Amino acid sequence: MSTTVDRPAAAPTPAEPPRPGPVSWLTTTNHKDIGFMYCVTAFAFFLIGGALADLLRTELAEPGRQVLSNEAYNTTFTIHGTVMIFLFVAPFGAGLGNYLIPLQIGAPDMAFPRLNALSYWCFAGGGLLVLLSGFAAAGGGTATGWTAYPPLSEGRLSPSIATDLWILGLALVAVATLLTGINILTTVFLMRAPGMTMWRVPIFTWNMIVTSILGLVAFPPAVAAFGLLLVDRRVGGHAFDPLGGGDPVIYQHLFWFLGHPEVYILILPFFGVITEIIPVFARKPLFGYLGFVLATLAIGALSVGVWAHHMFTTGVVDNPFFSAMTFTIAVPTGVKFFNWIGTMWGGKIRLATPMLFSIGFLLNFLIGGVTGVLLASAPIDFQVADSYFLVSHFHYTMMGGAVFGIFAAIYFWYPKMTGAMLRESLGRWVFYLLFFGFNLTFWPQFVVGLRGMPRRIVDYATGLGFDTPNLVSTIGAGVMTVAVLLSLADLWISRRRRIPAGDDPWGGSSLEWATTSPPPEHNFTTVPRIRSARPAFDLHHPELEP
Amino acid sequence: MRRLLARPSLGIVATIAAVALSACSSSFGMPRGASEQGRDIFDLWQVFMITGIVVGAIVYGLIGWSLLRYRRKGSDDDEALGRQFHGHVPLEVIYTAIPVVIVIALFSMSFRTEERVGNLASDPVVTLDAEAFAWGWRFTYEGHDVTVVSDPSGESVTGPEIALPRGEIVRVVLTSDDVIHAFWVPDFLFKRDAIPGHVNRFDITPTDTGTYQGVCAEFCGLNHAYMTFRVTVMEPDAFDRWLAERRGEEVAT
Repeated sequence: MSTTVDRPAAAPTPAEPPRPGPVSWLTTTNHKDIGFMYCVTAFAFFLIGGALADLLRTELAEPGRQVLSNEAYNTTFTIHGTVMIFLFVAPFGAGLGNYLIPLQIGAPDMAFPRLNALSYWCFAGGGLLVLLSGFAAAGGGTATGWTAYPPLSEGRLSPSIATDLWILGLALVAVATLLTGINILTTVFLMRAPGMTMWRVPIFTWNMIVTSILGLVAFPPAVAAFGLLLVDRRVGGHAFDPLGGGDPVIYQHLFWFLGHPEVYILILPFFGVITEIIPVFARKPLFGYLGFVLATLAIGALSVGVWAHHMFTTGVVDNPFFSAMTFTIAVPTGVKFFNWIGTMWGGKIRLATPMLFSIGFLLNFLIGGVTGVLLASAPIDFQVADSYFLVSHFHYTMMGGAVFGIFAAIYFWYPKMTGAMLRESLGRWVFYLLFFGFNLTFWPQFVVGLRGMPRRIVDYATGLGFDTPNLVSTIGAGVMTVAVLLSLADLWISRRRRIPAGDDPWGGSSLEWATTSPPPEHNFTTVPRIRSARPAFDLHHPELEP
Repeated sequence: MRRLLARPSLGIVATIAAVALSACSSSFGMPRGASEQGRDIFDLWQVFMITGIVVGAIVYGLIGWSLLRYRRKGSDDDEALGRQFHGHVPLEVIYTAIPVVIVIALFSMSFRTEERVGNLASDPVVTLDAEAFAWGWRFTYEGHDVTVVSDPSGESVTGPEIALPRGEIVRVVLTSDDVIHAFWVPDFLFKRDAIPGHVNRFDITPTDTGTYQGVCAEFCGLNHAYMTFRVTVMEPDAFDRWLAERRGEEVAT
């Protein structure tokens, strides 16, 4: 167990971190290795999903069909959506959680290190199956959309084995999510260092607590839905097939009971990320810590009661109830915006790359949030549901929000994970290109959506006002691609020519900045005294200690 | 202006303001609605958009002001700290309460609009059976022995053409017997899913003559993109002639 001392004794730092070989990656149970592997694997899936998005945008640049057949287009958007949601954004959040939570609460590792390794390998194996379902299955790739609604996904209409692989892959990913959730909750509740009360736990860790609870609540029904679908497909069941007396609407309820909490599983970790970053670069404590934590809990609680707003146009759900619940969730989200603004207010803001990405998150996510309130209204949804307006809305939250949070996290914690800095100059370029490219891609999609362009179409007619916005959108995707390639160049250059970061290059607040970079095997030789929500800040500013 | 461009944060704020302003034509990009129900939804959209733009502008303004006013100056040293305050309870209560009031107001308006839009009249003038299939539509005018159906060959861009009388209540009875589709006419600001095993009914009261595009909005497989149709709203007497010309035949287009 850790000891508590007044001043930290820095752990003995190896001059150069040892380079682990492939065998150690296969067998490791250390939370930092696993977290790092999660992040790297998830980022690789991001590159795959992004390449698929570029294919889709190329096809849609002008009317007519140019590069993809109908089948290939349908498979491409199915895999794009599945990869980005289940294999990139959510696992990247899980990876950050794995890496950071023990460090932030002063624990030597996760509660169940071997279970943690099992989580990672379930995720990696599941991800591989999902990729196979797109590209390597006899009978064609799965082409049901990431929602896989029956009856389209029933065996008689989608006979390819690919859809079964896709289901099994996602089931494995679900197992990984459940195991990680149990692990994170146990770690946070039982392994906090002396002095780390729940009201001193860093906001990122708080967000991961709620994310983990949501995973535990939301994934089992989805696994049940996938299981029933598999039985329908392979064993002659009729749960969702109206030809056998089943009801496809039941699938939608089960699926969205996962699907809506899932969007909060995707975004909450990155609410946490920017809430760690903004105070550090504003040189201030978080404004309204308690309100922020309560808002996070409120979002978690409300998010399990809003699922059927994805079903307003089915005509078979109680629209006003789900509409009211969805409006309500805007309140705690609004509170968070004021927390972030209040934190910047009166600060000494330093616009380093992690802060730029956090500001980009705020600017983009606000548009996602405001359009989310529009979508919460069932009558407005009658027009914009399943249109490009909706596509743009959720990309403003997922891409403009979560992915900007991911880049913020990479630039912020890369020095902690490796002991070296990323290039600030390149990082700024990545930010400006990504921000410009993102808005250039998705703003026109609001326009075409309102003009009547449905999602998931390989082709569109001229004369409907779709042509120019689609071309602009494709150009924007090209700009984003350049930005992502530049970020890879940055990672590569910074690995080849290291700029040593020191232990705390940003003047951090939470406990991970009080150990070495990279942290030693068991994180802390001694844990500093924890007397506030900012133990690392207190070390550097004893004069301000509460 | 040069100083503006020299500071990237200002540039971003200015860009977003410009984009937002350019989108602010009075309908905010939405068709104005060629039916009574559509116009009702359009009015709701206007209220929501204006509220959203005002709230968004306030939040953007606060973010922009914080960044401009509280950005670290060259004269500050590296260790300079901001003011170390942790919160302000009355302010936190206010910024929680105001959104509550806003969403209650918005929900009330949305609820009333949905009541009107979803209302089924007791005396529809025309009943149109719309049956969606992969990948086309079969429209039958109940009691008139008129059926319009998609040419089964697939990639026709305009699809079958149906007519509706202006100013009369049209009841649409929507079904599907294979996969889930959705009936969407963007100019009516309305879509509804066609779900096998369920029958969905809704009313449209067209107000503006003209020809409007209709599409399938729910992904339904291979030729989903080509599952289109056209709606022509005409005066009631022209509509009667249109029906009479087609009586007893099944028109494939």
